[in-house]
Amino acid sequence: MIPLSGAASDFETEVRPFLEKHCIKCHGGEKTKGEVDLSAIETMADAEAHAEMWDAVSVVIEDREMPPEDEPQPSDEAFAFFTSWYENQFLGAAVATPAEFKPRRLSGPEYRNTMRSVFGFDLEVNIIEAEQTVTEKSLIMKLLPTDPPGESGFVNDTRGARLSTTLWSQYSYLADCALEELFSPPKTSALENLVGSPITGELTENQTRSLLAHFSKRVFRRPVVDDRIETSLKRVGGKSGSELIAALKSEMKVVLMSPAFLYRGFLMESDPGNEQQPVDNFELAERISYFLWEDMPDEELLSIAASGTLRDSAIFAAQLDRMLASPKSRTLAESFASQWLLLDQITDDRQEPTYIHALKNQPLDFLNYLFTEDRPIMELIDSKVTFANSYTGVFYGDDRKQLKRYDKPRGVERVSMPNQRIDLIKAAGERGGIMTMPGVLGMNRGPILRGTWMLRQIMGDHLGEPPADIPAIKRSPKGKNLSFRELFEEHRSDKSCALCHDRIDPLGFALQGYDDGGGLIGKNQTRRKKNDQTKPEEIDASGQLPSGETFQNFEELKVILMTSKREKITRNAIEQMMRYALCRKLGRNDGPVVDELTSTILENNGTWRDLIHGIANSVIFKETLITNSRKESHD
Amino acid sequence: MTRSWNTDRRTFLRGAAGAMIPLPFLNIMENAVAKDLSGEVIPPLRFMSLFKPNGVHPPSWNINGGTESDFRMSPLMKPFEKHKDDLLILDNMGDFGFSSHANSARRFLAGRSDNTKTASMDQFIADKIGGNTPQRSLELTTEGLFTNQIGCSYISYDHKGEPIPRESDPQLIFDRLFRNPMSDPSQRKKMSSLLDHAADDARAIQKRSGREDSETLDEYFTVLRETEKRLENMGDTAVASKVDFTKLKRPLPAANLNEQVETMLDLTALAMWTDQTRCISYMLGNSNSRMIFDFLGVTEQHHYLSHFFRNFSRQNIDGLLKISLWHMEKFDYLLTKLKSYKDHNGSLLDHSIVLFGSGMGHSDNHTAQRIPIVLAGNGGGRLKTGRYLRYSENQDLSRLHLTLMQQFGVEQESYGAANAPLPGLDGGEFDEYEERTFKSWSKTEGNKLTVQGRLRMSENLDEAKVFYIDVDEGDPVRIEIEFRDFHEFNFAYHVGTAIQLTGTVSEKNGLQVMSKISQLQSLFGNSKPGTRGG
Repeated sequence: MIPLSGAASDFETEVRPFLEKHCIKCHGGEKTKGEVDLSAIETMADAEAHAEMWDAVSVVIEDREMPPEDEPQPSDEAFAFFTSWYENQFLGAAVATPAEFKPRRLSGPEYRNTMRSVFGFDLEVNIIEAEQTVTEKSLIMKLLPTDPPGESGFVNDTRGARLSTTLWSQYSYLADCALEELFSPPKTSALENLVGSPITGELTENQTRSLLAHFSKRVFRRPVVDDRIETSLKRVGGKSGSELIAALKSEMKVVLMSPAFLYRGFLMESDPGNEQQPVDNFELAERISYFLWEDMPDEELLSIAASGTLRDSAIFAAQLDRMLASPKSRTLAESFASQWLLLDQITDDRQEPTYIHALKNQPLDFLNYLFTEDRPIMELIDSKVTFANSYTGVFYGDDRKQLKRYDKPRGVERVSMPNQRIDLIKAAGERGGIMTMPGVLGMNRGPILRGTWMLRQIMGDHLGEPPADIPAIKRSPKGKNLSFRELFEEHRSDKSCALCHDRIDPLGFALQGYDDGGGLIGKNQTRRKKNDQTKPEEIDASGQLPSGETFQNFEELKVILMTSKREKITRNAIEQMMRYALCRKLGRNDGPVVDELTSTILENNGTWRDLIHGIANSVIFKETLITNSRKESHD
Repeated sequence: MTRSWNTDRRTFLRGAAGAMIPLPFLNIMENAVAKDLSGEVIPPLRFMSLFKPNGVHPPSWNINGGTESDFRMSPLMKPFEKHKDDLLILDNMGDFGFSSHANSARRFLAGRSDNTKTASMDQFIADKIGGNTPQRSLELTTEGLFTNQIGCSYISYDHKGEPIPRESDPQLIFDRLFRNPMSDPSQRKKMSSLLDHAADDARAIQKRSGREDSETLDEYFTVLRETEKRLENMGDTAVASKVDFTKLKRPLPAANLNEQVETMLDLTALAMWTDQTRCISYMLGNSNSRMIFDFLGVTEQHHYLSHFFRNFSRQNIDGLLKISLWHMEKFDYLLTKLKSYKDHNGSLLDHSIVLFGSGMGHSDNHTAQRIPIVLAGNGGGRLKTGRYLRYSENQDLSRLHLTLMQQFGVEQESYGAANAPLPGLDGGEFDEYEERTFKSWSKTEGNKLTVQGRLRMSENLDEAKVFYIDVDEGDPVRIEIEFRDFHEFNFAYHVGTAIQLTGTVSEKNGLQVMSKISQLQSLFGNSKPGTRGG
């Protein structure tokens, strides 16, 4: 058996031969698949110079995605050796360091929210919103191409989604629409708000100046220090009536099309004397507001940034709490958590919007409660509180009696109803926490999808892609009436399947007591016409985790998750929120921050608020790295 | 407060369109239109369809009695009565049985609800006449998608039978038609100047920040250059229009449904007049519309009210009729608008065919007979208007569609269930509904009554569940039934026709009142006119 790695000399004796044997055929010399060239790495010094690359390599090795299935496979020991070498050489040596500074384009939702804050109104599609119909009310969301999630898994990580001519022309069209509306009679108060005084007749010269100054300050999320307002004023000078309006619109449109509006970060002041440095106050204000609100800073935050006191720890903390208390922080649930937990996939067989609304809003209301009411992170898994309305009340047994009657207006057939908060008294075991919310159970049908979701989303495990040549699940042999579970156990006896399915299946089968609509089998909780054939007494929800713990049903599994899996789940929650807050994937140098936050939170049964404060105060959030090449160009 | 731009919400198109667009239009469009052998201009022919959701309340809609040229329009038709000479009102249109809402939407332009593998007729017409206009066709609507029964949300379908996305926003339509850089050189000029400013801006950022941020700014500069190039190329291919669209005012966001719909109707007329498109379909709502017409003082949903038998109350009937009248007023609005535009030697309506109606008849039990269908405009002489055509037998909507498609030059021999066109539209012979004579009588055996005569609904709006059969001698028999019998025996279908009815009877206030039906026999027609659900 090969000893686990420790010394630097291991590279030459063990790692290099491992690479030569298994990797360099495709990733070296002439062939450099995936732009990975390992042939040039001959010494430990070379290896250290390519630290980023090892992060990526270690993931595919750990997941056994590489070497490909049809190539000779390293022994388990060799795999383990490589992993421990990587961890010791790289992870262990990591120092918390912020990432290199890069401007980033606003995501679709960020752009929509920022436009709303700039103008004081939403750009809406003219469409009638009747009950039971689905509409995209936001003109911006309707017209902008949907941003794909970046490497971090979140759409605010837009580095991979480049600006295109299509996108640019949509920005241009949307700017026209917004400006057209701003100068229309129904939006007079929004215009007066930007001007800063009541408008009587023609805009005065002072008002024009004030309008351009206010507008630019909002658009750029910081005071405009150059002479651009004077330049603009010169161009609109001497005009009146519709000519003045047209000239103002075109000046304001230039501002809205500026890279400094469409991207974050172009206007940050940096210190050419240092590489690592705090971001400037306005950038810091943007970082917390886009994190907590998915929107630009408001007036209060901007003025604190301008006063230079934002870094005062009491003021900073008070701002975070003020922002969390604002209704705008619901974007943490609707954007961050919804993307993390894939809640957009929640649907209903019949595509009934009022019911989908009920199913989707349960986890969103619950997550919003956890985030904004200082609830422990682990309540994600188990909680004595939930949110329901009369459509979803059926899942909560007697606890639903707490729901106050909702009176539907006369002559209205089905309505979307708000949720009410209820305490879980009798149903806490079956229904406490996000995993047994009916919408979540319904979006992952069958034990395999449910287990995969739990493993990836809740525990944060990597799972490789399933092999290409999966054999079909065999039918039950004649005379034997095997359950899906038994058939599947046979199926995954194959070693390459077992690699992942030993981890997936116990989690998924633990939820066998819940049908595809999220109802508890045998308790008449289903809306589905065709009831599940399973009889309650036939349900086998027991299992054993690869780490050895056994359980009889989901409630027992939940206890295991709350105790021995607590660290894993907490760490994953922290990493997910950090990716969203930083709008990027995490690297090796973020590790120490994750470690420290994880241990603090585990010690104190920390809350989501603790985590938010922890992230916002971390060096990787508050500081940045301005590299040499940029400093040189300063002169 | 007074401001120079504080103008009426829709002045952009209202009334004096001529003041904004130089007239006579004929000369402007001359290059774009065909001429006949003698050099006379042949005006382009347009097609527009307007869909009314949720069927009708038949006693208010149906024309009872009258002939092809001598008829009185029904109470619901009052709002467009002034256009009588330009109308061709069709009666006895439909297929059989009952219709779901989704099926009724498909039927409206595809003839049959099961005609799902082909395009709706408007798309065949668009293929034929839409090629030379900037927009091949427009598919418009009012409200969002009803995902629970997605078919409720579409009337226009492509050649695979798939629904065509629809647009509801008048501003977006206006911009697509009149602020499109392809058709408007001033838009191209503006864009070009914006590109210059944006490039200046990006360069200033580059300099000012002291950082190159090269990758990201390069990306921005690249997009500017590509947009510039596209703009230059566009100059060569842009559609030359002599109409100055910059004079048109963009509509403001609508304050309510009425404004939204009227603005959209304004736009459809203007789009056809300026020859931006020749084919438009427009839904006044999903076929099972849940819209609330609060601006009419009605707070119940349209669909709920449309089930006026089951959800009966005088207040509900009033609400339903207000909504239906509003639909009819919008049809009037459209026709008035189309007539107001001069087009060659006549009005725009003269060179158009407008198809207005629904996909089901009775809005409570969803019969697919006596579906409201009205054609307007004579389509350059293709239709003979000013008439009421009541066919002797149910005429499939697909026959109408086939005929209209052929009139637009579509070479199609059959469509849906139709292998032959619908006669009579051009003034030719057709098999007209004829009154036949019969005796009316009633006879009682114990508590069983059999009555023969013409079935009619009560004229009293307070009595939506009450019907009468008049007999030659004595008082009429009053029929008070529950929805179950009403639906099972398809009363809605038989109203206005001669039937023999048997049921349980008792006496109330000196009248014989039948409450439970055991048998219904049609004297001249089909007693059980199909029960196919859908």
